[in-house]
Amino acid sequence: MKAWRHYAVVILFLLGCSGVAARVVYLNITERAFLQEQGDARAVRAQTLPAYRGVIYDRNGEPLAISTPTMAVWTDPSLVRLDGESVAALAGVLGVPARELQQQLDAAGRREFLYLARRLPWEQAQRVKALELKGVYLQREYRRYYPAAEIAAHVVGVTDVDEAGIEGVELAFDDRLRGQHGRKVVLQDRRGEVIKDLEFVRAPRFGSDMHLSLDLRLQYLAYREIKAAVLANGARSGSLVMLDAHTGEVLAMVNEPSYNPNDLSSGTREGMRNRAVTDTYEPGSTMKPFTALAALESGAYSPTTEIDTSPGYFSVGRKLIQDTGNLGTVSLTRALQKSSQVAFAKVALTLPDRAVFDVMNRAGLGQFVGTGLPGEAAGSLSEWGLDKPIVRATLAYGYGLAVSPLQLARAYVTLANDGVPLPVSILKHDPDAPVTGTPVFAAEQTRAVLHMMEAVTEKNGTAPRASVAGYRVAGKTGTARKVGAAGYDDERHVTLFAGIAPVSNPRLVMVVVINEPAGAAQGGGGVAAPVFGRVAARALRVLGEPPDDLLLAEGAGR
Amino acid sequence: MIRRPLATFLLLLLLVVASSIQVVWMSQAVRQLHVELQSAQRDQDQHVAEQSRLLLERSALTAFQNVERIAEGELAMHFPESVERIER
Repeated sequence: MKAWRHYAVVILFLLGCSGVAARVVYLNITERAFLQEQGDARAVRAQTLPAYRGVIYDRNGEPLAISTPTMAVWTDPSLVRLDGESVAALAGVLGVPARELQQQLDAAGRREFLYLARRLPWEQAQRVKALELKGVYLQREYRRYYPAAEIAAHVVGVTDVDEAGIEGVELAFDDRLRGQHGRKVVLQDRRGEVIKDLEFVRAPRFGSDMHLSLDLRLQYLAYREIKAAVLANGARSGSLVMLDAHTGEVLAMVNEPSYNPNDLSSGTREGMRNRAVTDTYEPGSTMKPFTALAALESGAYSPTTEIDTSPGYFSVGRKLIQDTGNLGTVSLTRALQKSSQVAFAKVALTLPDRAVFDVMNRAGLGQFVGTGLPGEAAGSLSEWGLDKPIVRATLAYGYGLAVSPLQLARAYVTLANDGVPLPVSILKHDPDAPVTGTPVFAAEQTRAVLHMMEAVTEKNGTAPRASVAGYRVAGKTGTARKVGAAGYDDERHVTLFAGIAPVSNPRLVMVVVINEPAGAAQGGGGVAAPVFGRVAARALRVLGEPPDDLLLAEGAGR
Repeated sequence: MIRRPLATFLLLLLLVVASSIQVVWMSQAVRQLHVELQSAQRDQDQHVAEQSRLLLERSALTAFQNVERIAEGELAMHFPESVERIER
């Protein structure tokens, strides 16, 4: 009687044991992969380790673009429901209406990821953390900040919300600036807190810092003046490019209209274009120094060669070329000083067919500049029709070609640097490594042209307002009619001034372009030249250039 | 006298025990270092944030417009009208 009960218990026990054993075998062997996967899916997370984007500095180490750490706040609505009290507390810290936040949460339904706030400043994020809300997580991210705002916006550019460059240097040198995000695999507990690093897949690689050739002080001066000039003249836009005549570095590059890279929502696309490199204009009379250089190169002309311009007009084929008045017989220097169309057309027609084109070509006009800035225009300088007198005549005073302000500035660097062209760079050069190049013009001839251009800024030249007290300034004004729907438009002009200072040892090359000023009669001398004069006066002092106008210096000093 | 297989067994046992203690010790060290790493990362973030803030502050204070305003307004300085030379 007792024996069978004993055996029954033993058998039941053994059955139970084998049941458990079978289950263990089943779970551990047959279902292992599935269970492991499910477990990992709940506890193992891959985390991105955000990398720091490189800082962009100007040539003196002032920051132009800098990434500051911020926090994103997110939650997982599928796991956690925030109660009304938590929502209210969170809304208070985030500074949004609680109802809005609640709506956001309701709309998310059972999604597994929802950003509650992005790019929170560090302090605010710490306050969110202090609330210790369950199911509310912080994630590190970076926000790009541009302290120079619209002053350097076009060159520096801007990044999108994920810190990828979309304009300017940010886009052009994105590879160098961008860091590589790191990755690690972590073990999380139920509340989403990291309890263990499982695997360090890749360490974040920080982006490299960049030093631009810009000088923020000059950039500011240039922007202030170009903005004032555009406003005062009711112009559509304006650009200014300042290059270092010794190194070819871009010291300043500004455009108006501009935009604020810290707040893209307020601006328009119109202000985002870097007109100094993307837009081309007919350079007009700013090309005359190159025609003069071609004349000197031919050997038939010297700065004092007399040219008869009376009666102030003459016709080439069916086209009438005219000056504003009758200048009579003038020297080549005076023709440049007074910007005589007739004189330069006549000079060009006595030169070989390709002479003027050839000089412009060697100066780099119509050729890609290669700064790397996005949207750089190559302009156009065509060989087409050089056998036609009218084409040669108009080319001599700057029509029939298109150049960007940057290209024009580069061409003037060649004049300023004794005929040696320099590569234009937006990045800071190593000051110990001198920049060299092969000369394309003879030094004595570019110096002669420079000397002739000095007459332009004298009292009886076309641009006395480009002069700077204490410094010798060479330059050339230009005014070009813009092409409208039916040929050249008499109402719309672009006014230019390209200048070099100080003449005895050129340091600055500056091009000022004011596009479509309202006053129709105003030429480059009235609109663009004063901008040059004001910017150059301050820029030369900021750069510590010694005055070279010795007569004035000696007179005032004692 | 202990036979050779037994000696090998005991040696291996000892090594197993030692290495398992090592594992425990190491995981503890990893946990501690992880805590340290996280606090170091937090510090780094704070320092980077602070650095960028200071950098921005400095650039705002040394901005040309600021220098110009103070030089001309508060210090009554001016840009020389013509060249004024000071003999050294």
